[in-house]
Amino acid sequence: MTQMVDLPQVRGVKNIPIEEMFTSGHRTCQGCESALTMRLMVKAAGDRTIVTGSTGCMYVANTTYYTSPWVVPWMHTQLGSSGAAATGTAAGLKALMRKGKVKDEPINVISFCGDGGGIDMGLSGISASLTHPEYNHLVLLYDNESYANTDIQVSGSSPWGANSTFSPPGKVHRIMNTRWKKNMVGMLAAGHPDCRYLATSCGSYGLDMTNKLRRALTIGGPTFIHSIDPCPKGWDYDPKFSHELGMLAVETGLWVLYEIVDGELFLNGPSKAIAKGMKQRRPVEEYLSRQGRFAHFTEEDTKFVQSKVDDMWERWWGPGVIPINVKED
Amino acid sequence: MGKTSLEVVYRGIFQKTLARNICRAIVLAARKEGKVGIGFGRYGDSPERNGIPAKYFAVVADTQEELEENLAMYEADNVDVTVAVDDTLCKGVESWGWYGLQPINQLTKNTGTVLVTSVQGRSDLVRDIHTKDVPYNIGVVQGSTSFSGLWVYKDDHTDVRVLGAICKVCPEMVSLESMEEAILEQWNNPVKVDSARKSHDRIETRVVEPGEGNPEEPFSFDLPGWTTMEEALVVRNVEQGAGFRGGDGGYEPVRNPYFKKWSTRTMRPVVNFETCIKCTLCWLHCPDSCFDVTPDGLYDSNMESCCGCGVCEDVCPVPDCITMVNEAEFEGNLSQWEDWNTNKDGYNKWMTEIVEKQKTQEPRSHGFHHVGQYREEVGSVTDSRNVVEGL
Repeated sequence: MTQMVDLPQVRGVKNIPIEEMFTSGHRTCQGCESALTMRLMVKAAGDRTIVTGSTGCMYVANTTYYTSPWVVPWMHTQLGSSGAAATGTAAGLKALMRKGKVKDEPINVISFCGDGGGIDMGLSGISASLTHPEYNHLVLLYDNESYANTDIQVSGSSPWGANSTFSPPGKVHRIMNTRWKKNMVGMLAAGHPDCRYLATSCGSYGLDMTNKLRRALTIGGPTFIHSIDPCPKGWDYDPKFSHELGMLAVETGLWVLYEIVDGELFLNGPSKAIAKGMKQRRPVEEYLSRQGRFAHFTEEDTKFVQSKVDDMWERWWGPGVIPINVKED
Repeated sequence: MGKTSLEVVYRGIFQKTLARNICRAIVLAARKEGKVGIGFGRYGDSPERNGIPAKYFAVVADTQEELEENLAMYEADNVDVTVAVDDTLCKGVESWGWYGLQPINQLTKNTGTVLVTSVQGRSDLVRDIHTKDVPYNIGVVQGSTSFSGLWVYKDDHTDVRVLGAICKVCPEMVSLESMEEAILEQWNNPVKVDSARKSHDRIETRVVEPGEGNPEEPFSFDLPGWTTMEEALVVRNVEQGAGFRGGDGGYEPVRNPYFKKWSTRTMRPVVNFETCIKCTLCWLHCPDSCFDVTPDGLYDSNMESCCGCGVCEDVCPVPDCITMVNEAEFEGNLSQWEDWNTNKDGYNKWMTEIVEKQKTQEPRSHGFHHVGQYREEVGSVTDSRNVVEGL
């Protein structure tokens, strides 16, 4: 195994590193939360980091012809290959260090992908990467719930009923995306018992995200983080509400903040407060009615989403973690 | 005989449907006169990004051959009419697939017309628009900027009011009669026809003489072509940042020099440094890393890189500490903190005034807030301007 960078947990928002490793001058939308996720990701990791990124907004909008907002080394990899790129980069570094061709020093390896690249196309590659305990790397999935770069086509992560280029509501069929969003972390946790760290996160909780990234990069072996990123373009809302919608996703219980460390589940932030009964889940309507992609929803649709979210919290093993329970005789 | 063409410069995504509606209606109206035409978005602008300026074109010709001749170009070299559907675009356009700043009137031909939807006067707009060495006309379609997102369209009649004005300033392209016919066919709403006709009758233009306007040279860059790129097509990274203005304290990131992003901005954050509690939230949640950290621990929004998303205003816990103010109020991109640091009383007075003024203005709407919002907003347009009565 290669050496790991010393990244202590950050106590308090004022101690988040000041240095920018992903800086201004990228061509993302106003209020792009995925750009914020990229920024927080490398801010937490520091300058001894190699980043590879699969195709998506965070490739296309950031590194347009001959320009770059990255301070750390960054390389584009193909749409479905974030997992393979992570393993390959980590394995390459390990071999070069063993042979003495590069200095044996601690270096972080991060590979990111969008929901199209990670949840749809790159799923098998990510799965494979999590079965290699001898390599240290992190796969970060930034999820804006559609193929946002190519103008909002449905992905395996798009929520039920959302308007998109592939699922426009019509007069006869109001709900055109009838699939429920894939449960990525639960699926990967259940299927990769050797993976020591998996987590969900949201850029609206910057400190939580920073610390999760640092835990993922220092625990050893392959790790995975799934971040929900409100997207003003595809979700259709005023960009200034990016932060607020991220918080609403968590507070309504649609997105659950948790981490799985060595097979143990820990809920974080508002999700923990909700699970402990210290906080009430807000109705999903507060989240849905703020976005143009759900503007066609009727009361019945909202009720349906609410009932599914209630199920996640009341009937799943761990809130929003795994939709299975042991049947008692 | 010949061709006429038009460009609609708009805010990506927010005004995509609006721009398409305008160009589409022109082509449909031209067909009614036996002409041929086509409306299309500029290739380099796709996929669009919220707020980043983009272009839509409409070309109308008498014959198929003339039309095809004009379509063989990536972008028209000149247009009869340039429409800016947001007045802050007059400061210049830096599209995301392009490099450098283009003046809004760059493609406007000699004695062509720039039409702007705005509540400002023509002379105020001309001050922002870069100078041109040939004369052109400027006209204002009175009204606040129409913004909406991808999925819900705000039908406040901006589309037909622009169309009516186009028929007045460029009757060679399409006549008002054919336009009225096309509008009725498209929307099946006689009130929209009325709105177009009223706008046609009201629009007035004036000539902008060569040399009149903003004398600044728009920024541009020389990037290597494929024969001069570095080995392995390596693109150089941005350097690590350093202390504020090169000093010991604070922090100022080095930024990608080839893309500024400020032409995306329609609102600008104005900071009250006196009430700032240094909580870091604006800095932490800015997706564009545009806050420089000053040696005294304050956060100075860098106006070259701020795209005006407004997240900082939303996360700031102190009332009125950060206020988004209409970009039309400003000239230049100077540092607010430097201004405040050199003359605190002067800055505080200016800041209080501009924030108070913003509060009295009709809020600029930047897309969807809640279900039913556009109906409410269009209702208020109906009352105050008497433009779309009957809705």
